[in-house]
Amino acid sequence: MIDRYFSFIIGILVLALLIPTVAEACPSCKTMDDPIVQGFKWSILFLMAMPYIVSGLIGGGVFYVYYRTHRTDNRKPPSNVKGV
Amino acid sequence: MNELEHTSYERTEGASHRPISNARLAVLVLLGAEIMFFAGLIGTFLVFRLGSVTWPPPSQADVRLPIGITGLNTIVLLLSGYTVFQGLRAIRQDRQRELRNWLFATGLLGIIFLVVQGSEWVRLVHHGFTLSSGVYGSVFYVLIGCHALHVLVAVLWLLAVFAKTVAGRFSGNHYVGVEVCAIYWAFVVVLWPLLYVLVYLI
Repeated sequence: MIDRYFSFIIGILVLALLIPTVAEACPSCKTMDDPIVQGFKWSILFLMAMPYIVSGLIGGGVFYVYYRTHRTDNRKPPSNVKGV
Repeated sequence: MNELEHTSYERTEGASHRPISNARLAVLVLLGAEIMFFAGLIGTFLVFRLGSVTWPPPSQADVRLPIGITGLNTIVLLLSGYTVFQGLRAIRQDRQRELRNWLFATGLLGIIFLVVQGSEWVRLVHHGFTLSSGVYGSVFYVLIGCHALHVLVAVLWLLAVFAKTVAGRFSGNHYVGVEVCAIYWAFVVVLWPLLYVLVYLI
């Protein structure tokens, strides 16, 4: 039973090797002069940078608010802190 | 514990130990997700725009986007960013009547922006430029449409804040509702010039 399945898989693999076709899964695996490659390149770079920019902005914003609150706390009693 | 007591508790007990309030943090995380959403759309636009030798594509060469009127509309939206900031400044100094006026002006400017955008869309659709007009139409309507939807949500949010302001629910010590709405409004205002330059000018 197992030998039959094994033979079937080997047969499929041999068949696949006998009828090769060109398949391009990677849009950037072309010449760099192609405009679509440039489009993908800049899009990938943009999207790659964006999570760092977003987390940096949120982290920076939280740090700024924390810094400002502590500076205010040092100057005023806690009951005067506004906007909580 | 009612809202005022809760606010008072936060102010005296929790605020000095917490770097940022829950509401502010929530709106920042929401904006992070929104930025990534628009980054995805802009990434799509970049692929099609930079991947095309001519833009608009030859099949849509006769389409003329309303650059002038949308430029004026951009100024209207930027002005709304100024008015919402002034409203926030007013409530920080406990000037509730001023907040009401600034919020009214902001909402009005937001509605003007939406009406002008809508009228320009109607004109473009009558001209035959629709969502199914190839890549150009799809990119334009999805990108600009998503922003318009966000402005609509911001206007509705602002109206809710305005109603609470009229009811006297905000003061110089309690204005986080105004602040988170202003942060969201600032996001839609800051995003628009970027989209305008990308879609209309480049």
